[in-house]
Amino acid sequence: MLEIEEIACGYGKIEALRKVSLQANQNAVTCLLGPNGAGKTTLMMSLAGILKPTHGSIKFEGQNLIGLTPSQIVQRGLALVPENRLVFPALTVRENLMAGAYLRKDKPGIANDIEQQLHRFPRLHERIGQLAGTLSGGEQQMLAVGRALMSRPRLLMMDEPSVGLAPKVVAEIFGIIQKLHHEGTTIFLVEQNVHMAMKVAQHFYLLQQGRVTFSGTPDQLAGDDLVKRAYLAGHSAAA
Amino acid sequence: MLELLQRTLEGLLEAGPYALIGLGLTISFGVLRRINLAFGATALLAAYVGSWLHVRWGVPALGVWTAVIVITVLVGFYVEWMCFDIADDSVAGMRRQSSVALGLDIREASVLAASFALWMQIEQVAVNFQPNHLHPFPDLSSKHNFELGGIDLRPDRIFVFFLTSALIAGLAIWLQHSRLGLGIRALSSSQAAAQVCGFNILRLRYMGTAVSCALCGLASCAVLSMDGQVTPMFGMWVLIKGLTCALLGGLGSVRGVLGGAILLGITEAHAQSLWGPIGRDAATWGLLLLALLFQAYSLKHKFSHAKKV
Repeated sequence: MLEIEEIACGYGKIEALRKVSLQANQNAVTCLLGPNGAGKTTLMMSLAGILKPTHGSIKFEGQNLIGLTPSQIVQRGLALVPENRLVFPALTVRENLMAGAYLRKDKPGIANDIEQQLHRFPRLHERIGQLAGTLSGGEQQMLAVGRALMSRPRLLMMDEPSVGLAPKVVAEIFGIIQKLHHEGTTIFLVEQNVHMAMKVAQHFYLLQQGRVTFSGTPDQLAGDDLVKRAYLAGHSAAA
Repeated sequence: MLELLQRTLEGLLEAGPYALIGLGLTISFGVLRRINLAFGATALLAAYVGSWLHVRWGVPALGVWTAVIVITVLVGFYVEWMCFDIADDSVAGMRRQSSVALGLDIREASVLAASFALWMQIEQVAVNFQPNHLHPFPDLSSKHNFELGGIDLRPDRIFVFFLTSALIAGLAIWLQHSRLGLGIRALSSSQAAAQVCGFNILRLRYMGTAVSCALCGLASCAVLSMDGQVTPMFGMWVLIKGLTCALLGGLGSVRGVLGGAILLGITEAHAQSLWGPIGRDAATWGLLLLALLFQAYSLKHKFSHAKKV
C-alpha cells in the first residue's frame, strides 16, 4: 500500500534519512522503531509532505507522493497523528474534529463522522465544548487520533502516540490502535515503546542513524540479538 | 454624574472603530504569527488616496470609502508580499527544515524588522504624494447634536457605532460558523497543526490579510469621516489604537479585543475630560504599556510553567 524507496532527507548538510526503504501493507499495523534522533519523525514529516526528500520515491497505492503539498497528501488518503499531539489548543473538541475534516465538503458525512468519533472516544463526548488546550495528555491524544480519522484516511500514520503519557493511558491508546486495526484501518506506527508495539504490529522496521537496520515480524524482532539488547531487556519478565 | 455618563457614552461610541482596527490587527497576527507594524501606514496611504480622489476628482463619500478599503487591501498585500513572503524566503531553507513538532519560527524577528521598514517606506510614499499637513475627507458629521435626558449625542458617532457594531457581529458570526472562519481560527491557534491537517495555509494567510486590511480600511473611513480630515499622524494613530486593543484583548480573541476597545475608549474619554488632549494621549500610551507588561508577564509565566512540566 505504501512503498518507500531509498528516500534521503536532511536539514542542510545533516542527512537525517539515508536511502531508507520500507513498506506498509494494507490492513496491517507496521511499526518503525528507533532511538531518539534516528530520523523517525523526519520520515513521518516527509510522508506528510511537510519535508521534501532530496532523493528516492514514496508511493501510495501506486501514486508518487513526492512533490505533493500536505493538503494534497491528506486528499490522497493519508493522515498523520503527529508527535506531541498538536491539537488546536484554542478550539473546542468539536471544532478540532471539524478541522480534521477541513478538506471535505460533505456536511452530513462530517456530522456523522463526528458522532462516530464521539462514540469511539466517550471521554471526548463528555468534553465536546471544552477547549482542546485544557484536556489531559491522554485526551489530547484521543482527539488527535479522532481528528486524523475525520479525513477518512486509508493510511493512518501515528508518530509516537505513547510519548509523555502515563502507563494506564498508554495501554488505553494501544487498545484504540488495536481496535482501529480490527476495523480494517491500515496503520503506520512510529514507536519507542517496543513492548506495547509488539502487541499490535505485524511487521517491524528498526531505524538507526537514518538507516533501516532491521526488518521482520515480531518473532524475528524478539529473536534479534541487537534489538533484544537495545530494546527488549526485561521483556520476557514484563510480558 | 451627568458629566460622567456623558464621557462614558462618548468613550463607548469611540470603541466601535477601535474594535475594528484591533480585530484587523488580531486576525493579521493570527494568520501571520507576527505583528504587522506597517498596518497604520497602509491605512494612511489609502486615506491619502481617498482624500485626493475626493478633492481632485470630486468622488462622493461612498466612492471614497470603497476606494480606501480596496487600496488598504492592495497595500496590505504589498506588505504581505514584500515583508512576509520575501523576508520568509530569505530564510526559506531553515523554514523547510523547521520542526513542526516544536513549532519553530526563526523568521519572527527579521519579519518584524522588515514590517518596520515597510511602515517607513509607505508613510514616505504617502507624504510625498500629498505633502500638505491637512487633507479633507468626506465629512459625515452633523452640525446638530441631539439631546437625550441631558446627554448630548452626535448623530455621526451613533451611526459609526452602529455600523461598526453590525460589522463586528457579522465578523464574529463568520469566524465562528463558516468553514473559512474555522480555518483562520485554527491557523491562529496552531500553524503546525494546521499544516498536519492539510490546510492550504497560503490561501488562509491571504484571506486573513484581505479581511484584516478591509476592516482597517473601513474603520479608517469611519474615523476620518467624523473628523472630516486626514493628517500624517493618522498612520501612527491607527497602529497605536489597534495595538492597544489587540494587546489588551490578549492578541487572539474577538471578545478580548472588544473589551480592550471599550476600555480604551472610555479611559480616553475620561482622561480627555480631566486633563485635556495630553491626558488622552497619556492614557492611550499608559494602557499600551500596561498591555505590553501584561503580555510579558504571561509569556514569562508560560515559559516557567513549560520548564516545570
